[in-house]
Amino acid sequence: MYKGFRQHEKRISRSSFLARHGFWLLFLLFTAPLADHSQAAAPPVAYIAGSGNTALDHHVTQLLEQQLGNTATLKPLADNDLASIRKTPVITIGPTAFSRVRQANREIPVLALLVARKFIQSYIERSPGRISAVYYDVPLLRQALTGKAILPQANRVAMLATTESAELYEPLIDQLKGYDLDAKVFIADTEDQLIPTLIRALSYGDFLLAGPDDTIYNPRNIKHILLTAYRRNRILIGPSQAYVKAGALASSYAPFSSMAKEAGGLLLAYLSTGNFPSPVYPDEYRIEVNQQVARSLNIPLPAREWIAQSVQNMINIDDPEAGP
Amino acid sequence: MPITNYQDAKRPVPFPLSKYFWVPVSLATALFMASGPRAAQALPPEFSTDLSGLNTEIPEVLTTTRLRQPKTRVPGSTTVIEGDLIRDLGIKNLYEVFRLVPGMVVNFVASHQPVTTYHGTVHYEQRRMQVLVDGRTAHRATLSDMDWETMPVPLELIERIEVARGPNSAAYGINAFLGSINIITRDPSDSSNLETTITSGSRGYLRSFASTGNGSSNYDWRLSFEKRKFDGFDYQVDDGQRFPFRDGHDINSFLYDSRFNFNRQSNLEFRAGVVDGVKYQDRNKTGELNPLEHPDVDVRDFYLQGKLNHSLSEQHFFHVQASVENFDRRIEYPVSFPDSIAQCLSSNTPIFEYTDVGGNPEQLCLNPQGGPDLYADVNANSEDTRLELEFQDTLLVSDNLKFVSGAGFRKDIFRSDTYFNGRGNNYQSRVFGNVEYSPKTWLTLNAGGNWERTSTTDDSYFSPRLATNFILNHNHAIRIVYSQAVRTPDGFEQDPDWGYTLYNVRPELYSNLEGRRITINDVVEEPQRLTLGNHLEEERLTSQEISYFGQFPLEQALLSLEIRVFRDELRDMISGVIQLQEWTIDNNVEADQKGFELEATLDFPGTRLRASYGYMDQDTRYTGGPILNRDGTINENEQRYQTELLERLSVRHSGSLAVIQDLPLGLKWSGAFYWADEFKTHFERFDTRLVKQVVQPRYTAELAFTMQHYLNRDPELSSDNNIKDANQFFVEAGIRF
Repeated sequence: MYKGFRQHEKRISRSSFLARHGFWLLFLLFTAPLADHSQAAAPPVAYIAGSGNTALDHHVTQLLEQQLGNTATLKPLADNDLASIRKTPVITIGPTAFSRVRQANREIPVLALLVARKFIQSYIERSPGRISAVYYDVPLLRQALTGKAILPQANRVAMLATTESAELYEPLIDQLKGYDLDAKVFIADTEDQLIPTLIRALSYGDFLLAGPDDTIYNPRNIKHILLTAYRRNRILIGPSQAYVKAGALASSYAPFSSMAKEAGGLLLAYLSTGNFPSPVYPDEYRIEVNQQVARSLNIPLPAREWIAQSVQNMINIDDPEAGP
Repeated sequence: MPITNYQDAKRPVPFPLSKYFWVPVSLATALFMASGPRAAQALPPEFSTDLSGLNTEIPEVLTTTRLRQPKTRVPGSTTVIEGDLIRDLGIKNLYEVFRLVPGMVVNFVASHQPVTTYHGTVHYEQRRMQVLVDGRTAHRATLSDMDWETMPVPLELIERIEVARGPNSAAYGINAFLGSINIITRDPSDSSNLETTITSGSRGYLRSFASTGNGSSNYDWRLSFEKRKFDGFDYQVDDGQRFPFRDGHDINSFLYDSRFNFNRQSNLEFRAGVVDGVKYQDRNKTGELNPLEHPDVDVRDFYLQGKLNHSLSEQHFFHVQASVENFDRRIEYPVSFPDSIAQCLSSNTPIFEYTDVGGNPEQLCLNPQGGPDLYADVNANSEDTRLELEFQDTLLVSDNLKFVSGAGFRKDIFRSDTYFNGRGNNYQSRVFGNVEYSPKTWLTLNAGGNWERTSTTDDSYFSPRLATNFILNHNHAIRIVYSQAVRTPDGFEQDPDWGYTLYNVRPELYSNLEGRRITINDVVEEPQRLTLGNHLEEERLTSQEISYFGQFPLEQALLSLEIRVFRDELRDMISGVIQLQEWTIDNNVEADQKGFELEATLDFPGTRLRASYGYMDQDTRYTGGPILNRDGTINENEQRYQTELLERLSVRHSGSLAVIQDLPLGLKWSGAFYWADEFKTHFERFDTRLVKQVVQPRYTAELAFTMQHYLNRDPELSSDNNIKDANQFFVEAGIRF
């Protein structure tokens, strides 16, 4: 059964992957054997700059290597390499690694992994083609629809933000109208305003949607936010898997394998053309749920696979912010 | 392809994810989260992989057994009324909330004194439910009745109310006889910066509320004020004529709620409150010895409550709670008697005593002799103090095995020259526990009990509960529950020393009666029926319940349904009259109750439908000793009357229907219909509320209009409880920052 699922998963993912990066794969498929025969040249190299978390770096590297096969070689990035790199791409894991590479040498082509769109967007705008990314954050529309899939009766979504971070939710509010969901952002600029504002938000919304806004959602605040929400029988959706472990009811997330596939495609494109394509969201999302919270709040929770499929079915394919 | 329902979702997936697949990913994620750079702007912050810090604090959804339990695992039917529902339906008084609970009724006795109960029984001195406010016993210490009008619980502060329907003595002791009500107010850490509401409406209704608070990592606090004014019923009827009815109230509450967080493991909740005001009482309805003026009640209550919560680990935590409540009621009014009664009082002759005059029995004390009337002042002052200490320990061995246990001690101190001729004490001590065991995913067993000893009967009691829950598909449960409960008589029922002392006796002629205490023995009308001094035993209840709870996720809605079928045997019930002239209470009635109840909610996007219904058939029998007439024959009417008293609030059909509908332009409409039959007439009322809500990023404002329409104009319980206008109107404005 387990093997069967893996095959099934591969089949689905491969078709999607082929559709998105087929050209570059085909290109490499034909050119790589030619290269082998002509001069047995070594595959191109890409550096990988880790987050510092050995287990994570190892896991991501392994997935990337599986994805790239013989088409490219990954080499750990040493600090003394930074100054000399010109065209060799560097894959960074996490925003700190990205910042480290970027600060050392602004000319380096970088493929950023495990970074949020909000973080990387300005760099990409400044260096198109030289910087790309596989977004780590989940599209907010997808998160909102995760809430809708769990609470089909919901029609109002509340969001907490600061004055600065409110724009994060602006596109979503218009998008949700297309899904019969009303949404409002409630502003809390200081710690004192957080809970009073949250109370008003919970009165308005059927659930609270959390985006990647660490001024609101951080380890210091999250417990208070969750307890206040649960006392009012309201749930928190998002912003990430980690928050579900901390007590949020559910969050969509992209599996590392899916991010590795997208990263492989972007890297191959760079190796072939010398330019990175635009950054992408992964093409596959799964759902993390907190069964204990659901039981405590008497919320009937469908299977995770069903929620993920339901979200996928709801998403308007033409919606650019929805991710794939 | 659109997904049509959750049933498909619940089918096993053809290729289930193996948990082993996720081991490396989860490990990597956990490690990543644990050691990721804190400065990262986009990476998730640090969390452990469990519900760190939350496990012990996720609010208890159901407190029926004192364990946190989902409805599928709770051993009995429990109604949860959320604060938002109360406010959305435009409910104006706390006691009216209970019309939403299947099997509960609400009515009034005396001078607009609200009384509410589950499964009926008596209307006066209703004390068969345990009522808790944030874990603090709310009924009065000595007279044990509930004073709903002075209860310091503003509607805005209600987080939710849980009503465990059915005996709950196994968890909450001897007063949780027919059920328990647990009122949970907002946590002090959930306070608004500033919130204020004012409501004005028919019959002089005025309610203003204001609250402010703040929180930090170490200290959360909230201060609240509420003023409630109401004129009560419009008029009473005597000999077909209408008279004004003095039965309103003017009550002010000042509340302080706080939490001190010492560290991640320990915190202290501290609450304090003062209630001050006047309850207006009509001299024709209330007050012994025929008051000359209205015997209004001057209310001066306060409470202090501390609760220390400590977590030994994620799975093991306890609390120690201590509280002091003081109920100080001052009632002073003048009385007068004709000279004949004054003479009888002087000679210690019972006022209603018959004297043989020429072969005819005559009540000489009631025949004035032409002398001046006696005037004096009396009072019915009382001050009750309740000291309560409780320890509760919760041990979650696993998700399948949970224990809660604890012990409590209570001391009731009563000080009243009128009711107790001085001061006295009652003591209660108890040990309780409950185990929840789920050997299979489809089976949960609950076993719990409460052992209690009380000085009112000098006896001890054990109230057990056993329950089996069969859980189907996570969302459905069938419960089979067996429980026993007792209610012991309160201090006044068991050991009264009731009498009114005459002060400021005038004219001088009667100065010898200054300080004379008029007791039951002086004024009893039918001494042969007097039960004063009889030792009362506990009331006993054996209950059997089969109930179903299910949730049906639909394509665009969620249907929740709970059905309870019950059969209760009530034995040695105390019935009778508590009046100075007539003290006839005894363990003299038994009753069998059977029926069913239904509660359903259907939530659509923007629409909420709710229904509750209760059907109860009560068979009541007189089981006491024969009640005799003066001539020694059995007074069957009186025996029947005693059984009927236990049926006054036992209605056959009761229920509610409610709709809450979101409208465009920030409008919301609600409608609710409440009914109950078999009082003297039916209670039927339709409420409707329209609210305009302005939700801004920095404040929320509301303007609401509520109308109550009484469909039945005849008073349900007392012919004096009359309302002039079938339509009652209320306007409400509020703002929250």
